[in-house]
Amino acid sequence: MSVRTVARKDLADAGRSKALWAVTLAVVLFTAGITAAAAVTVGEPAAVLFGQVFQIITVALPIIALFVAKGAITGERESGSLRVLLSLPPSRRDILIGKLIGRMALMVIATLIGAVATGFVMITLLGDGLALLVPFMLFLALMGMAFVGIGVGISASSASDGRATAFAVGAYLVLVAMWSLIFRVIQVGAVELGLIEAGSQPAWLQFISLFPPNRAASAAFEAVRSGGQIFATDPFASVWFPTLILLAWIVVPALGGYLRFRDADIG
Amino acid sequence: MTEPAIDANSLTKRFGEVKAVDGLDLTVESGEIFGFLGPNGAGKSTAINMLLDFVSPTAGTASMLGLDVASERKQLHSRIGVVPENYGLYERLSGRRHVELAVEFKNATDDPDDLLERVGLSQEDASRPAGEYSTGMGQRLALAVALVGSPELLILDEPTSGLDPNGARELRELIQAENERGATVFFSSHILEQVEAVADRVGIIDDGRFVATDSIEQLRENLDAGARVTLRVGREPEGELGDLPNVRDIEVADGTVHGTCLEPDAKLTLIDRVREMTTVTDVRIEESSLEDMFASYTSNASDDGDTETAVAGGVEA
Repeated sequence: MSVRTVARKDLADAGRSKALWAVTLAVVLFTAGITAAAAVTVGEPAAVLFGQVFQIITVALPIIALFVAKGAITGERESGSLRVLLSLPPSRRDILIGKLIGRMALMVIATLIGAVATGFVMITLLGDGLALLVPFMLFLALMGMAFVGIGVGISASSASDGRATAFAVGAYLVLVAMWSLIFRVIQVGAVELGLIEAGSQPAWLQFISLFPPNRAASAAFEAVRSGGQIFATDPFASVWFPTLILLAWIVVPALGGYLRFRDADIG
Repeated sequence: MTEPAIDANSLTKRFGEVKAVDGLDLTVESGEIFGFLGPNGAGKSTAINMLLDFVSPTAGTASMLGLDVASERKQLHSRIGVVPENYGLYERLSGRRHVELAVEFKNATDDPDDLLERVGLSQEDASRPAGEYSTGMGQRLALAVALVGSPELLILDEPTSGLDPNGARELRELIQAENERGATVFFSSHILEQVEAVADRVGIIDDGRFVATDSIEQLRENLDAGARVTLRVGREPEGELGDLPNVRDIEVADGTVHGTCLEPDAKLTLIDRVREMTTVTDVRIEESSLEDMFASYTSNASDDGDTETAVAGGVEA
C-alpha cells in the first residue's frame, strides 16, 4: 500500500519534472540516433548492426540510469520531504522499495521508447531486424534497472546528494569506463602470480569479465544474437547466466543501501 | 487510567563525544497540551527526532500511545500527526496533492479541501505547486498534512516558525480546537510566549536535560519571579530590614534598597518597612517577565552567580 503510493508519487513527480523527458530524449537519441547513423554508414546486416549499437548503448545508458537514481533518497533527504514522509506511516523500507520501483519504471519507460524508436529506424532503413528487437529491449531494460538499483543503493547509503553523485560517477568509472583495464590488470596479475597460464580463461576470470551489468547485458544479448541457447551448458555462452548477474545487480546494491538507510540518523 | 501519550525513559543520544540528549525522562499525559521549551541547540530536536524514529537513541526507551516508537512505528504513525522541523515539501506537487498523499498513507477518509480550509489555504492556493508557497503557506500546508486522520497525538516541532503574528494566533486556536476534540498536543518552541499562551504544562530543556517541568504558574512560583522593587532612599537604613513576608533578595547599596516581591501587597510591605527606617525619594518597580524566568533556567552559568550574590546581599544590612 505505502510502497505503491511512494512509487506512484515518485513517478508522477518525475513526470512533472523535466527529468522524465530529458531521460527519454537522451535514451532515444542514443539508441535510435546511433542506430540510424550506423545503418546509413556501416552497411552491415541488421543482426550485426544491432550488436554494434548495443555495445555503444551500454556505455551511455549506465550513466543516465545512475543519474536518474542517485538522488532518489538523498534528494528527499536534503529537501526535508523525507522527514514528512517518515512522519507518516511509510517505513524506510517502504520508501526505498517505492523509490526503487518508481525510478526503475522511469528508466524502463525511457528505454522502451528508445528501443521502439530504434526498431522503427532499423525497419525503415534496413527492412530487417524485428526479431532481435525484443531481446534488444529486454536486456537494455534489465541493464537500466541494474544501474538504477546501484544508483538507489548509493543514494540510500549517502548522507548528501553531493556524495551520492561522487559515488555514482565512481561506480560508472569502475564498472563501465575502466572495467576492461581492471580486467586486464587482474588477468596479467594472475599470470604473474602463477595462478593461471597465459592465455587461459578459467571460469572465475570469465566471471570477472561478465561482472558489471553492462557486460552481462552485452553477453546475454550477444548469446541471443549469435543464436545461442538460453540454457546452454557453458554458463558464459548462455543467456541465463548473464541474466542472473543482471538480476543480482537489480537486487543486491539496493539491499545493501537499505541496510545503511535503515540505521541512518535522519537528523 | 489511560496510557500516557508520550513516555520516554532516560532517553540519551550521543553524537561522538557530544551528548545531545542526556537521560531525558518525559511523560505527557493523554489530553494535555505540553510545551517543550528550550533555546536552539538545547536538544529539543534530537529528542523529538528520537520520538519520531528519525534518530535511534544511544540509550533509553520511548513509547507513544503505548506503542514503541521504533518497533511499532507504522501503527503509531497512522495515529499521530507531525509537523517535523526542517521539513520540505514536494515543489512540483500541489498543496492538495500533499494532503491527498497523507490521506492515502494513513488510510484516512478526510476531505483534503476541508483540512486545507481549516489551516487557511484557499482552493486556489491548494491547486498551486508547493514550490510557489511562501514559508507561512508551507507551514500551513504542513499543518494540514499533520491533521490528516484526526490524530490522537499532535507533535509540532517549532510550528510557529515562518508564521506571522496572525498565523501564530490561528495556530494557537487550532491547537486548542484539536485539544478539545481530544488530541494530546506536544509542541516545541524556543519562544516562551507561544508556549505560555496554550500549554497546560511546560518542560524546559537545556544541555540535553530537563531543567524544569511544570505548569507555567508553578514554574513562576518556583523561581520566585516576582516584581523587583527599587527604592531610592535619603540615607541607607541602618540595621536589618528583617524578614518580610513574600519579599526576597533584599539588597542595600549605593543609596538604594532592592527587593523582590512575590505578591502584589508585598511591595507595600517593603516600602512601608523602609519608610519606617529612612526616607524614600523614588520608587521603581519592574515586573519580572517570563522571559527572565526562561533565561534564568537556560543560561545557568552566569545566572547562578547572580542569584548567589543576591541572596548573600539580602542578609547583610
